[in-house]
Amino acid sequence: MTYEMIGKELIELLGLKGSPVAVKLVSTPSDVPAGYEKMTKKERHCQFVQDTRLKGVTGYATRGEHLCKGGAAVMGIEPSPDLVADGTTYQKLGNFKTIEGAVETVHAIPKVDKPYYASVYAPLEKAEFEPDVVVFIVTPRQALRLSQAYLHTSGGRISSDYSGIQSLCADAVVAVRERGVPNMTLGCNGSRKYSGIAEDEVILGFPPKELGAMVEALKAFKQKWG
Amino acid sequence: MVKTVKALGIRSPNAGILAGNVLRSLEMPGEEVRFIVSPGAEAGMDAVARKYGYSMELNRLEKDLEIRMIPSGKTMEEIDVTGETCPGPVIIVGERLSGLAIGERLKVKSASLDTLADLTAAVTASGSRIVGEETEGDRHVITVEKCEKKETPVGTLSAANRDRVLVVQSNGTGNAERAYATFIFSKVAVSMGKKVTIFLLMDGVSIARKGSAAGVKHPAFAPLDQLMDEMMKAGVTMYACELSATFRGITENDLAPGVKLAGAATYIQLLSDPTYAVVNF
Repeated sequence: MTYEMIGKELIELLGLKGSPVAVKLVSTPSDVPAGYEKMTKKERHCQFVQDTRLKGVTGYATRGEHLCKGGAAVMGIEPSPDLVADGTTYQKLGNFKTIEGAVETVHAIPKVDKPYYASVYAPLEKAEFEPDVVVFIVTPRQALRLSQAYLHTSGGRISSDYSGIQSLCADAVVAVRERGVPNMTLGCNGSRKYSGIAEDEVILGFPPKELGAMVEALKAFKQKWG
Repeated sequence: MVKTVKALGIRSPNAGILAGNVLRSLEMPGEEVRFIVSPGAEAGMDAVARKYGYSMELNRLEKDLEIRMIPSGKTMEEIDVTGETCPGPVIIVGERLSGLAIGERLKVKSASLDTLADLTAAVTASGSRIVGEETEGDRHVITVEKCEKKETPVGTLSAANRDRVLVVQSNGTGNAERAYATFIFSKVAVSMGKKVTIFLLMDGVSIARKGSAAGVKHPAFAPLDQLMDEMMKAGVTMYACELSATFRGITENDLAPGVKLAGAATYIQLLSDPTYAVVNF
């Protein structure tokens, strides 16, 4: 099943608002998929995801296009600013009572361990590259179905981890990419404020290789549950 | 191959659920996995390992924990360097380590404790670590784990992090032992993961003259030109002092392939860089 078919099926079966978003990190300019242009606006990673999801925007963002330095840093696109890396920023923003709590959290945030040139975005059904991760911004009910679909073949449970900061970047992309398993996250103050994620929406990232079986599971659910 | 998965800040039982999902979703089923987790994640991990056919090993890192999930029945690569003389063991082990992925392990055996002590120094200097020491019959054994080498930025004022070696050669082909030592020590340094630069000056530039190294031979070693070529291919940078070359009528066209002419400023800059350890021959 191609990503075009998978993307279309997921939109149809789940009744998604917009598209699942294919995201890939590339190491060099020559790794950018052919025909993909640099994003025309400077935005945050979560905004690029939302523009791709809702407006069908495709393209890539280098350090110059990423406005959220923390998000770009966990994806290896630029070094982490000192005040972000040492927890000061998040303590000052009011997330943590103590600097120790901020440091503990920043230490645990998923990060890639090598530098990347850019992040690439496309609606899954139009992606002309092999994504690292597919990001879904969905309602809790759609998240339920995606979780059930993931577990349909082999069963088990899903573990999700997040800290309320660096959500669509660290939790939905880096954690999924590095571990090879799904993750769910609730957004962060930045992504809720700037990228228009609705009050009734949550975010999930899935390894692309799981999606074919998940489509089949969703079809089975539809037959069984309507 | 060993896959490394960082999952910090997640406690048991969620860490176990995550680990189980990682193990059953591996691109290469049966791959060894290193989980880097926070204290509090380890409870129940042994049951996860057993469920998916792995054995578990727990190691405490500075702040975090390393939980290694090793496929049951997987045997570690082994090498016996008994009988090899210096610098053979360091070169052999260095070459084997270079073929391993981060986190993979190699068991090294030798009848000589001194050889293993030398190897331990070389391995730790290259950024890897010794994770086990034991005895098997008449063999002493160390287990080496390949670790990520921390890059030292140029100009860093930390003697402890010197990961570059400058080999200065000023005797040339007229002193075969020193000429051989130049390249044999370079080879050892390369096998330890060091970046090596050779600077030929004074009579040392005679080595740089095209074809002259071929005339330096010793029955116990490969001809000098072969060692020189091997080092070039290994990425060693070789400079010939422009002044010394000019004094001896050596021009750029006379230089062996890959050797570059360099001025005094390059030499002084290399000597002044604290990330370089300097060896003179």
